[in-house]
Amino acid sequence: MSDFVPVAQITEAAQRLNRLRANMRVSIRGKDDVIDEVLVCLVAGGHLLIEDLPGVGKTTLAYSLARSMDCTFSRVQFTSDLLPGDVTGVAIYDDTLKEFVFKKGPVFAHIVLADEINRATPKTQSALLEVMDRARVTVDGESHAVGAPFMVFATQNPVDFEGTFPLPESQMDRFLMRLRMGYPEPDDEREILRNARGGYDTIAVNPVVTRGDILALQALAPQVFVEDSVLEFILRIVTATRTDTEFRAGVSVRAGVALRMAAQARALLRNRDFVLPEDVAELVVPVFSHRLGLVRQSSDGLEERRAVSAALKRIVASIPSPA
Amino acid sequence: MGLIPPAPRRPHLAAEELQHLKWLLGGLLTLISLGAVFYLDLEALMLTGVAALCTLAAMVRPRLLARVPRLLHTLAFPLVTAFFIGDVWLRSEVLPAMVRLCILLLLYRNITYRQRRDELQLIVLGLFLVMVAGVLSVSPTFAVQLLAFAACALGLLLAITLAELQLTPAARAPVPPGETPMWARRAEFGHLIRRMRAVLDWRIAALGAVLFAGVVGMSALLFLSIPRFQLENSMFLERFIEKKAKTGFSETIRFGDVTEIQQDTSVALSVDVSNVRRIPASPYWRMLVLDSYQNGVFRASAEQRRNEFDPERAGTIAPGGLRPRRGEATYWTFYLEAGVSRFLPLAGAFQTLTFQEAQHFRVAPRLAMVALREEPVTMVAYRVEDFEMGQALPDTRFANRWSARGEQGTRAAEPLVRLALSDADQAALGEVIVEATGGAKVVPADFVRRVGEWLRQRHPYSLKPSIPAGDGDPLVRWLRSRESGHCELFAGSMVLLARSAGLPARVVTGFRGGSWNGYSNNFTIRNSDAHGWAEVFDETAGAWIRADPLDSGLSEAAQNLHGEAAVASRLDRSWKARVDSLRVFWYRRIVSFDQRAQAETLRGVKDATRSVTQELRARIGSLFERAKTWLVAPWDLRRAFGSAAAMVGAGLTTWWLIVRGPALWRRLSFRRGAGREDPVRREAGRWLGRLAETEPEPDHAGVRQELQRLRFGPRASWTEPEAVFRRARKTCRAARPRQRPGRRRTTITRP
Repeated sequence: MSDFVPVAQITEAAQRLNRLRANMRVSIRGKDDVIDEVLVCLVAGGHLLIEDLPGVGKTTLAYSLARSMDCTFSRVQFTSDLLPGDVTGVAIYDDTLKEFVFKKGPVFAHIVLADEINRATPKTQSALLEVMDRARVTVDGESHAVGAPFMVFATQNPVDFEGTFPLPESQMDRFLMRLRMGYPEPDDEREILRNARGGYDTIAVNPVVTRGDILALQALAPQVFVEDSVLEFILRIVTATRTDTEFRAGVSVRAGVALRMAAQARALLRNRDFVLPEDVAELVVPVFSHRLGLVRQSSDGLEERRAVSAALKRIVASIPSPA
Repeated sequence: MGLIPPAPRRPHLAAEELQHLKWLLGGLLTLISLGAVFYLDLEALMLTGVAALCTLAAMVRPRLLARVPRLLHTLAFPLVTAFFIGDVWLRSEVLPAMVRLCILLLLYRNITYRQRRDELQLIVLGLFLVMVAGVLSVSPTFAVQLLAFAACALGLLLAITLAELQLTPAARAPVPPGETPMWARRAEFGHLIRRMRAVLDWRIAALGAVLFAGVVGMSALLFLSIPRFQLENSMFLERFIEKKAKTGFSETIRFGDVTEIQQDTSVALSVDVSNVRRIPASPYWRMLVLDSYQNGVFRASAEQRRNEFDPERAGTIAPGGLRPRRGEATYWTFYLEAGVSRFLPLAGAFQTLTFQEAQHFRVAPRLAMVALREEPVTMVAYRVEDFEMGQALPDTRFANRWSARGEQGTRAAEPLVRLALSDADQAALGEVIVEATGGAKVVPADFVRRVGEWLRQRHPYSLKPSIPAGDGDPLVRWLRSRESGHCELFAGSMVLLARSAGLPARVVTGFRGGSWNGYSNNFTIRNSDAHGWAEVFDETAGAWIRADPLDSGLSEAAQNLHGEAAVASRLDRSWKARVDSLRVFWYRRIVSFDQRAQAETLRGVKDATRSVTQELRARIGSLFERAKTWLVAPWDLRRAFGSAAAMVGAGLTTWWLIVRGPALWRRLSFRRGAGREDPVRREAGRWLGRLAETEPEPDHAGVRQELQRLRFGPRASWTEPEAVFRRARKTCRAARPRQRPGRRRTTITRP
């Protein structure tokens, strides 16, 4: 069979990912599930939307990931007066060369943290989203590739909506997953209190995998085998979101593909060369929840997110998993 | 497994599909029950038709039911009640009214969405109809209907049970009038068939068939062994149905009556004979003697009815005129179909006639006739001990009367010679006699032969006779013409000519011949075998001799054929005979199943079982014996090698079966309908499910992973599936079942 991956390759991939995970754990305490999901997103080659209150470790998460794998990291703080050029870079006239020279923006890094993305104007937002989609920046008819691997961590504050431009659903679709960090457990928090240093720049993390390793992982993930009944399971979940009366509209085709890719990455993370229904079921909420809106919209953002998650869990529980 | 619900082991029909299936099965059940009523001679044809059409429409498009006006639902109960009361009051027949009520209720149940209770009601109503129809008609179709009904009802009950397990309380609630439930909105035949194919494993289907056959077999055994009682006599049903005749012989024949029956090729009579050697070449089954003739009509005279018939009796035994003879008696068992006649077909004078059930009847021993009081609406079975099968029927009383009249010179006044004809007709008859016999005075036997020859030469045989128009007696007109005619015209002419010549004569109707069914070994006489012939009195013999003007085809040798040769000449092995043999089996073994027959059958079953066991035992014994002698015989190198090779072969085959057998079995049970499903994957899924039901242990992880690989992994990466399944089996056996968290009971303690 063509889609058969040698076991050695899988084991090696899982070992690398384990090293990465262990390394991130040093700086991110008590958030193993979040780390796992970030790694799934990385391996699946997707971008991440983190919704949480400020100061729970979103930046630390992104930074420690970047540092763990020998990648460049940049951070853009989105504000309402940020221009697209501030993100992508601009072409300026070089007097010595007598021509326009492209000055790369902060997006030219491997891990980009787009902080409070909903504070920027839609124009700037869409500039970033275009880069996310195509992994290239085109300025003055000249296209420039961004880093590979390329992963955007966008953050949002779900509570504070004053003066924001909420991302439209079509753009939410570009993110593979949406995560919540949540507060750490008391024990972990005590540990953080004890050892905390200043900003993230002080985080001392050594790279444990190379960029090339990550690219190899990303190339390997789509080869993870998905059995027909598991595909059918995904399809039934996707269909169920479209027929459920609670949602305004169902998820897109892209969302179904995203779920498959995420499940493949999760299987790789678990040292498997095939996807289990369990992989799919576990990833439905993070992959689908930001793409769905309720018919009865709630004024409270957190409340709405909770209701969507509950509905998705109900759907997954109602569909018999293949056996 | 967190979010994942417990997985079903194999595909199931969803609740909506089950409801659709239930609906279809209910409709089919209704149609079968209505079909049973269709054969019943009740005035419910229109109602049955309407009910059947509505049921069919509802089966094809269940969502039509929402269009039934709300008013109908409101008025249904009062309307049905009023209909029933009116029916009973107007017609004063209870059972037909009940049947019609039943049909109405079935109709109503099929134009409303049914709940579980209504489905059960449907089964009971249908069963009532099938049983009533079966008891009243006692026809072989009853068996088929009952079987179909039982299969359908079992299927329906299964579907109801399965649906009950799956239905939510909301789906169980009654559907308000004017609304369509979800299943009816989505009902689609193609989808249901595809799903059924996916769900139905051949093993399940085979198991179902075996179980059903088992149920039928057990019922048959029970039927064989329970004490018999007379169903019809102990049930009140028959008294509620008015007797009605369909076709048949009556005491008058106008020309054309018998041939009307001849158009009908259905079975009229089946006859079992205990001694095949007694079967004549050309049997005549006499039913009616018609002695009076007037203006083209033969009828049984009032005198005959008064003088020849004994007073009416009730019971099962009818004594005939014949004295017991020496030697073993021959038993003739007749199964006369409903609606043929109230006069029983008999092959001649008989010794005793025994009915299977008590009847009201009158016997005319000298005419060899038995008449029931009413035309039977069900099959009548009777057994006759010994017939006098000759061509002559002795009648001493008439012989005495005839000779007394001869002495007194009043023979012309004898009713059996008298002819109410004009002089011209009389003269014409005289001319014919002179022409046929050559003017000589001949003995009756010769007279019959010569007149028969003359008639056959002058008139061709045809089922479409034509009688020339003109004055005078129609039969004489035909006689003098050269037109074709049928048996009645020939027989009637023979009687007129014999009487004209001063010989007493009469017409006899019944059946001639019949075919020998090679499958069930009995005579089958069809309505198309109906025949009419004459009997002429021979003074010297003191008996009536048969005068069939159409009986010439058989040569002298053929006339003397008896027994097997006669049977061989009439052997029928067509497919129609095969169907008829089923009917005879039904009559012999099921319907007319008295204690004697029961004992016979039980004995037969016992004998068959015993002989099969003995045979088996003998064969096994001889096998052992042969093996023993073979072992004892001196061994040489060749034998030793041969047996070693055979043992190795057997060992290898066993090993192969152990190793490959399960995989082979799985391949056999590969379902086409399920499409892509792989048997190994399915088996692995099953083991995963079983493993999930056990208490998790750390050492299960390895087996679980291997099973997961078989279930969800790429095929190329599979390791030996059988080995994995063996390990899984071992692990499951050793593991403890998972403790399900029971509901905690909260106890209230007083402070």
